[in-house]
Amino acid sequence: MEREDLVGRVMADMDPELLAFLRTRVNSFVKWDLIRFFGENPHTTDTAENIARYAGRNVEATRAELAELAAQGVLVESHLGEMTVYSLTSNPEIRRLIQRFLEASNDRQFRVKAIYHIIRGMR
Amino acid sequence: MERVKTGIPGLDEMLRGGLLPQTATLVEGAPGTGKTTLGMQFIYHGIVDYDEPGIILTFEQFPSQFYRDAANFGWDFRKLEDEGKLRIIMSSPEVSLVDLQAVGGQIEALAREMGARRILVDSLSHFQRLTSDPLQLRHLTYSFVNGLKREGLTAVLTWESPVLLGEPAEYDVGIPFIIDTYILLRYVEIESAVHKALLVLKMRGSDHDKDIRQFDISGRGIEVRSKFEGHEGIMSGSPRRMADSFVQAFIRR
Repeated sequence: MEREDLVGRVMADMDPELLAFLRTRVNSFVKWDLIRFFGENPHTTDTAENIARYAGRNVEATRAELAELAAQGVLVESHLGEMTVYSLTSNPEIRRLIQRFLEASNDRQFRVKAIYHIIRGMR
Repeated sequence: MERVKTGIPGLDEMLRGGLLPQTATLVEGAPGTGKTTLGMQFIYHGIVDYDEPGIILTFEQFPSQFYRDAANFGWDFRKLEDEGKLRIIMSSPEVSLVDLQAVGGQIEALAREMGARRILVDSLSHFQRLTSDPLQLRHLTYSFVNGLKREGLTAVLTWESPVLLGEPAEYDVGIPFIIDTYILLRYVEIESAVHKALLVLKMRGSDHDKDIRQFDISGRGIEVRSKFEGHEGIMSGSPRRMADSFVQAFIRR
């Protein structure tokens, strides 16, 4: 128990803004993929089926995570004809956080900590 | 007549000065012939040399691949995006088609916001996955192309040919009929070496060069060179020397 607390404290030693973003928005690996995808392709508007294909993920899992990201304000869900499509929010603050998160993800130490928090959040 | 210059050395001369504004050009070729490079070059020169912002609509390649491939030619697409002169949109044919048909769709809004004058669609072939009915495919692509023209865009659309060497694939979808300019890129085998050939097969509303020209892809992009001399059957992919015996007999006289 004590050891777990110590690990938790070490893993929580990251930029508070990024830690909050990680805990509230990037709380699954599929979401991480989707946030990275939209961060790198900020002008994409597409259906869950196509986004799942781009991300190389299962459609149903992707659909649920896209809906959650939209509910959290990271993405915008809209309707185009009979299709439900997703695009990146135009909110500059969230876009800035996404870019910060993606840049931080290039660092192995940060990735290890981020993975720890996602796994803990999944328990 | 006003022309939209591609900025590609040799090609604008073939097009008698460039493409006609608000027209659609199909660039058809096998993998690796340079369709996307030609399209990127059209967009890049439009922005840098002619102050015409551009959009790249990609149905398969990620924007990061465009950044990387463009950088190989010294074209900084990231910088152009930061400056608001270029937008690379990754989407699907079904979403793009409905978006363009809708009032105030993303492409329309973006084109107006950035004052876009050019668009590369890479590739139109992906519309084939929307329907297996050739007539419906022709109808869908016709609507899509007209939507681009309505927005004042001069469009280059790529089309993937499955044929590496040899005659062009036979179309049963009628796409060449709905576009204005039709450029073919082909591999040609001559004396155990593979060359690349370019032919402007059709240009609605304008005269154009009918020669089959050689082209290279160098560190600066596509450069169209002189026509193939001394061979016939170039577009078959395996040209023959032009009637050697006839030429020799003729020369003897």
